[in-house]
Amino acid sequence: MAEFNKQLERLEAIVRRLESEELDLDEALKLFEEGVERLRAAREQLAQAELKVKKVLEIESPR
Amino acid sequence: MGSPTPLDLFAAASAEGAWTVGEVTRRARAVIEAGLPPLWIRGEIAGFKAWRSGHWYFSLRDKSAQLRCVMFAKQNFRLPAPADGMQVFVFARPSMYEEKGEFQLTVTELLSTEQGGLWKLAFEKAKAALTKDGLLDPGRKRRLPLFPNRIAVVTSPDGAALRDIQAVIARRWPIAELIVVPAQVQGAKAESSLCSALNRISRLLVDVVVVARGGGSVEDLWAFNSERVARAVAAMPMPVISAVGHETDVTLCDLVADLRAATPSAAAEAATPDRAEVLAQCGVMGQRLGRALRIASRHVVERLDRSGDRLVRGIEHRLERSGALLTAHSARLDALSPLRVLARGYAVARDEEGRILKRVAQLRSGKEFRLRVTDGEVNGRVQ
Repeated sequence: MAEFNKQLERLEAIVRRLESEELDLDEALKLFEEGVERLRAAREQLAQAELKVKKVLEIESPR
Repeated sequence: MGSPTPLDLFAAASAEGAWTVGEVTRRARAVIEAGLPPLWIRGEIAGFKAWRSGHWYFSLRDKSAQLRCVMFAKQNFRLPAPADGMQVFVFARPSMYEEKGEFQLTVTELLSTEQGGLWKLAFEKAKAALTKDGLLDPGRKRRLPLFPNRIAVVTSPDGAALRDIQAVIARRWPIAELIVVPAQVQGAKAESSLCSALNRISRLLVDVVVVARGGGSVEDLWAFNSERVARAVAAMPMPVISAVGHETDVTLCDLVADLRAATPSAAAEAATPDRAEVLAQCGVMGQRLGRALRIASRHVVERLDRSGDRLVRGIEHRLERSGALLTAHSARLDALSPLRVLARGYAVARDEEGRILKRVAQLRSGKEFRLRVTDGEVNGRVQ
């Protein structure tokens, strides 16, 4: 699964582009679809996540 | 060491009537230890030397006398080293160091009489060194990541700090992966343990690090005031949040970190966004997305409308022009019409085949013709 921050960054970029540029309907629709998909994935990530805990073994540093 | 024998200073221990050196030092030691119990002594440090073994050797002196002192590593490991000339109190056991025949104090406690004690002095010294290298510069503080993927925690593996941090992150931001790097947070090995834990993390792909420890005495927090640990924190390639001790104890680790949190839980909160807030943010983003699409499609429709208008206007223009031309042409046609000529009173003569008779030669005597006038035709004959 894509990293959450990347997902959200891309979503931001899509929204901003849709908001600020004059696009072909075709292009606008394509961006919109991608945005919806990213939003869905982000929400799913948020809803399903369960904290993973990993323990790294302690290693004495050589002196 | 043997049990002290009853003291008889005039009784020779050997057959020759003389004591051996060892016998004397042993006796002397017994006398000293029996006569001088452990005690607090006040004096000034002189000739301080820390050996590689970790043991400290120094003299304690006043205006008129001095005492040799040793403070073993297992007693001094939590203490910052004192400097010569410092006024101190020591708690020590007087004894005889037999191998050298020296009267010596074995120190178990050492306190500075100066403001804040040894800790304060050592803290200020290390702080000054860090300041000189710019490591406490506020401009060095980095911003924390908004949505961390991997969070590393350096702390005791079985302390309350880790439990608190884990609980907060599980509630707020379970998307993250929590990487626990256990370290000793107090005791003789804490300094190198912390440094090695930080060093390990610096080579991992981690967005933010939390260094945490619950409250404790100044001695307990010592490792977090070590210049070595502070420098290790400063050298981390990613932001570090420090939550060491209670709110009132600010450690060097806290000062060097990118953010200082009052408690381990607060550190975990600072490291993570709240899932509920991010979900709300996602909702807003969805609305913006929908609105943006509507606006984008409206732009397209407007553009279509505009082109339609232009098309219609273009055709109308063309039609208007054609109309004008038509009128002009028909006026010219009209002007040229022979009917108009006839109306002015002229007449056209044609023979029976319809040929126009224009010349006298065509109109011989007796020739029949038809004459076209403005309102009709009549037959005629040349006389």
